Amino acid sequence: MWVWFAKLGSPKWFYEISGRWLPWMSGAMVLSIGFATVWALLFLPPDYQQGYTSRILVVHVAVAGTSLAFFPLMAVAGAITLVWKMKLADMVAKNAAPIGAWFSFLTLATGSLWGSVTWGTWWEWSDSRLVSMLFQFFLMIGVISLRSALDDNDQSARACALLAILGCINVVVIKYSVEWWNTLHQPASAVTIGGGDVNGPEFWVVTLLMILGVYLFMGISLILSTRNEILEREKNAVWVQEIANDS
Amino acid sequence: MLSTIQFSSFSDFIDMGGYAFNVWAVYGLFAIFLVANLWLPLKKRKSIIRNLKRARKGQLQDQ
Amino acid sequence: MSALDLDRRNLAGAVSITRAFRITLERDLMLAFRRKGDFVNPFVFFVIVVSLFPLAVSPESVFLSRIAPGVIWITALLAAMLSLDSMYRADFEDGSLETLLLSPHPLYFLVLAKNCAHWLVSGLPVVLISPFLAIMLSYPSDQLIILLISLLLGTPFLTLVGSIAVALTVGLGSRGLILAVIVLPMCVPILVFGTLAVNAGLTGLPVEGYLALMGAMLVAAFSLAPLASAAALRISVA
Repeated sequence: MWVWFAKLGSPKWFYEISGRWLPWMSGAMVLSIGFATVWALLFLPPDYQQGYTSRILVVHVAVAGTSLAFFPLMAVAGAITLVWKMKLADMVAKNAAPIGAWFSFLTLATGSLWGSVTWGTWWEWSDSRLVSMLFQFFLMIGVISLRSALDDNDQSARACALLAILGCINVVVIKYSVEWWNTLHQPASAVTIGGGDVNGPEFWVVTLLMILGVYLFMGISLILSTRNEILEREKNAVWVQEIANDS
Repeated sequence: MLSTIQFSSFSDFIDMGGYAFNVWAVYGLFAIFLVANLWLPLKKRKSIIRNLKRARKGQLQDQ
Repeated sequence: MSALDLDRRNLAGAVSITRAFRITLERDLMLAFRRKGDFVNPFVFFVIVVSLFPLAVSPESVFLSRIAPGVIWITALLAAMLSLDSMYRADFEDGSLETLLLSPHPLYFLVLAKNCAHWLVSGLPVVLISPFLAIMLSYPSDQLIILLISLLLGTPFLTLVGSIAVALTVGLGSRGLILAVIVLPMCVPILVFGTLAVNAGLTGLPVEGYLALMGAMLVAAFSLAPLASAAALRISVA
């Protein structure tokens, strides 16, 4: 276990093993996202209440579900950075932040596009998921701007690790406080809140496939940017020089 | 459980039961998002390797 | 045990924790009173911003009394954020922050002392002036006590949580906006419950539950936030 753990901390080992994973992950991602997209757009029967807008939910649910994984990921990586000073964990955390911000933004955008036809409004303050996602987006931007403001690598690693852990706790607290706030601010017009509870089983099969694909995508883009980070930080190592010469 | 194609014509498919803008905007954004987040790191990787090679060449010339 | 450890133990023995806490608190208060600006500016900011709202939105008293809790809470939040910046800056620049970190006492209590001083200087005046501003915004005077209690529970929370962000960014040259980006989302929960309590009072609903929750959040912040602040200071002052 510990040997494996120590190995995982080595950028070189990660670079090599992730290079072997990438083709398989990419293949699986292209298959699952491609298959889910075609199925969702062409074959999925329209929902009896939402009509063809349930096609939006296939993407929205997958992206939203994946975007929730970023803060826990960054918090765990941050804890590893703070406790074991593992360089690799920090590289992952550093690159997860911008991707996570992209994910949160896309969740909000697709949610808005869905809400504009289903709820009849682009934005609904009384939905706790919308509001907490917005603040997750803000917190993510906070982590990114702290990272870019601190020059020293080691210092910014630990500062961002601490902020990511606090942010992760905060997302949960915000979620619950906004939910509470909602039960008192009952929306004037009774909008049906609730994502896919009216959709049939076929919808969920497609969505699960899409979730799988988007998770793979998250992994791939994270691995790609982490590999770049490794090449940049270890540019004086012999093995990096060899990679540059071979390619 | 597998359904058949839901649309009788191509224009029906584009129309998406009247929700063309919302459905296609979501899939368009999703596609841009996927391509951008894969293309940008790959592009960056190329420039990193180019820089590494240039630095190496400079070192060799110095020696 | 090394000589340094022995040394630290002796030092710690010479000054008790409560005394160290008091000394830090007194020092910060004295500095604030000498500089005056730290003391007066957040307060003036609070008063000016609140009085801009009727001009910008509507002078109608029915409308003003509706937005009064939100206006006062948000302005208090902004005033706290602006004053936070000065909490560790001067100490960082003249090196006394490093001395604080090297002290043999647990950093938790020293940070707590600095936070208490900051709240007494910038939070308490805002809380004390808020009833007058609330009345100017046509807020019903029989509800003032709830507003006062909610601010009394909320503003220390803002100081304690904001202190973490200031500690993280203390080494940066220009950090005004970064501080806002980090602090403001973290203040959402207390803002939500603060305004909920006040609004519940306005509509005649029981407020004790919200105030109790705010108290619980304050206690949690009181016991945990200084730990995070201390860790952040150790990271920033490397």
